[in-house]
Amino acid sequence: MLRNKTVGAGLAVLASTVLIAGCDGWMGETSGEVDITAMSADELADYLVLETDSYRFEQEAQEGGSARDRMVQDGIQAACSIEGDPDSGTAGEVIAMARESYEAPPGGPRLGNWRRGAELARSGYGYRIGHRNDDHGTREAGGNCYACHQMDPAEELYGTLGPSLAGYGATRGNDSSVVNYVHQVVSNPHQYFPCTKMPRFGRNNFLSEEQIAHVMAYLLDPDSPVNQ
Amino acid sequence: MFKKALLALPVAMAVGAAAQAGEWQDPNDVLQNLLQNNPDSAYLHQSEMNIMMMPDNPALWLVEEGEDLFYAQRGPNNVSLEGCDFGKGPGELDGAYVELPRYFEDTGKVMDFEMRLVHCMKELQGFTSDDAAVGQRHGNGSDIMKLTTYIAHQSSGMAWNPPLDHPEEQAMRDAGEKLFFRRGGAMDFNCASCHGDSGKQIRASVLPEMRNGQEWTKAISWPAHRAGHDNVRSQNHRIRGCVWQMRHAGIKHDTPVNTALISFWNDAARGEPAILPDLKR
Repeated sequence: MLRNKTVGAGLAVLASTVLIAGCDGWMGETSGEVDITAMSADELADYLVLETDSYRFEQEAQEGGSARDRMVQDGIQAACSIEGDPDSGTAGEVIAMARESYEAPPGGPRLGNWRRGAELARSGYGYRIGHRNDDHGTREAGGNCYACHQMDPAEELYGTLGPSLAGYGATRGNDSSVVNYVHQVVSNPHQYFPCTKMPRFGRNNFLSEEQIAHVMAYLLDPDSPVNQ
Repeated sequence: MFKKALLALPVAMAVGAAAQAGEWQDPNDVLQNLLQNNPDSAYLHQSEMNIMMMPDNPALWLVEEGEDLFYAQRGPNNVSLEGCDFGKGPGELDGAYVELPRYFEDTGKVMDFEMRLVHCMKELQGFTSDDAAVGQRHGNGSDIMKLTTYIAHQSSGMAWNPPLDHPEEQAMRDAGEKLFFRRGGAMDFNCASCHGDSGKQIRASVLPEMRNGQEWTKAISWPAHRAGHDNVRSQNHRIRGCVWQMRHAGIKHDTPVNTALISFWNDAARGEPAILPDLKR
């Protein structure tokens, strides 16, 4: 299940079926005419993404690296490219990969400022590239938690792709075991929820450790509106 | 102008509608049937305002403008698009839009609608990529969106039925399904992150479920007037927006990732009637 992506090597062989490229043939522009019917669906999908000039791969990504790097899958992304829930074997492997790639911040997770966390939870700005690029120099990127979760019970506009987090800290407290657990979930949630839809905000360098601390305060600080 | 689009076209179309793909239906009638058949779909019923506006869908203006453009002699070669084969013969538009993408012998590849339209505007009419006629892809003012809306309208009410007889059509459809579930980008999302369940919301917006054909046919029924943008948008524009919000890499137009995704999209709505043009939030 957890395959390393070695599609490039296989494609070189497939690409030997060379014909003269058509006048506007996309395959002709990249590597000669390729027999796409000789590939598995997985191979063709990777070929289309990585080898057919379908994306603006030369653009820089805000988290570092190039746009192309975003479309080359890591182990968890590859294992979770499935319909529905993972089988138990895949789930175990994903959990293991997530644990291995998890990093606690120096000195351990802590709670920041819930007011700053509220701003980050509401903001959907950041990391978008393509026809328009989000400029992190002029506006801070957010975590966009409300796109998927209810948080402050007084906030009316919230998504339901994830569970409600209203009163999250009020029912759980905020001792060190809770703080450590919430950090693991925000930073690399596949440790507990293999193939979850939720982004790996820490592992993917989407939020800084300082920002994660603020979001955690929004969830766990007794004074936060989430817990009123 | 509105009345002409509303009254004259359905009458003209009813006469020539292709029987094998179902009869042409007014897009509002298609929508009303979907609403009646799915009283519990939060996605289909999410906007009373848009449902009320549907008979006066602003996209119908583009149908009329697109018709004029289609039959006008244009481009360096000064010919109309009546020689363009969208898969059912030169100039045959009835049911053509819902039977794309498909494999074209003359180019030797699977092409989606927009790719094919651009191909014809270049090969027949002589436009180049530098001409605004093909270079400008988005917005009510673009020739591409006017032509797209007119041509798609000729398939309203007909069932999505993209052919899979050619091995490359099947290969692109199957790759498109893999792409739908392919995780990537800065947030690890795939298309199913938002379209895997029925009735889920992203913020205030109710999302369509891909495996629910009656929700999905509305979801993929572009061109549609997108109220929030105050412009008519295409399938390709929807893909570009999703990919951008997913924090993947920016996607280019006329590329095979678009074609494969649309091959799968349209297949996932197979048998369900298309709403062309639709009106969306």
